[in-house]
Amino acid sequence: MQNNQQKHNETKKLRPGQLSRPKNLNLFTIRLPINALVSILHRATGCLLFLILPLILLLVQLSLSSAEQYQMVVNILHSPLVKLILLGVAWAFFHHFFAGIRHLAMDIHWMTSLMKARYTSKLVLVFGAIATIALAIQLWI
Amino acid sequence: MLLELLTKRYPGMRAWLTQRLTGLVMAIYSVLALLRFFILQPESYEAWLSFFQPIWWRIASLLFWLALSLHAWLGIRDVFKDYVPNYGLQMVLQKILLALLWIYLAWAGWLMLA
Repeated sequence: MQNNQQKHNETKKLRPGQLSRPKNLNLFTIRLPINALVSILHRATGCLLFLILPLILLLVQLSLSSAEQYQMVVNILHSPLVKLILLGVAWAFFHHFFAGIRHLAMDIHWMTSLMKARYTSKLVLVFGAIATIALAIQLWI
Repeated sequence: MLLELLTKRYPGMRAWLTQRLTGLVMAIYSVLALLRFFILQPESYEAWLSFFQPIWWRIASLLFWLALSLHAWLGIRDVFKDYVPNYGLQMVLQKILLALLWIYLAWAGWLMLA
């Protein structure tokens, strides 16, 4: 390791005081452990949910403002493409929800060993999928 | 001891606890909202209006949005701290985030109480 680092430093011309760190810009060569996958998805879904906040407020406002606007919102939500987007957003919500519950459980020292954490990570993914499938059935059948 | 931890001397501790408590509030509201939706099945404009009619539900919804604002503030701010190394830009983004969350909160307040 030390040797590699030295070689790396020698082959690259460095300014005095500059540190040379190995860089790996190809993210697809990194294999995420399942805990890390649940964790980064918790963050990504949180960002997504934040981004759609104004849309939620807009839909609530329109749907409550008059009978015609209500019907318009219902029609929009019934179009196939919007339904698909809705399902994606719902999955984001469910994942964030279950991953958040998992965090709370770990905060009170539940399921904190590595094996248990891996198991609850799987549970979060499975619950998210089940909830999304249940909603899909509600939406399409 | 606990109270001391939550004072201004330990802002990180306060942020940590706020993130958890607001998460819990939102989780409880979400479950309630889903249950209410499945029990009442509002499938007309009138039914949808009466879904938001009770004052306790409006206040609960507003409380949810308040929790959401705090939760999103801490969460997105952490994302900026992690991925925006330029401190100046990070501060600008934080201010935009804060302004947006205040606007959304005012909007939600207007929707639920006006």
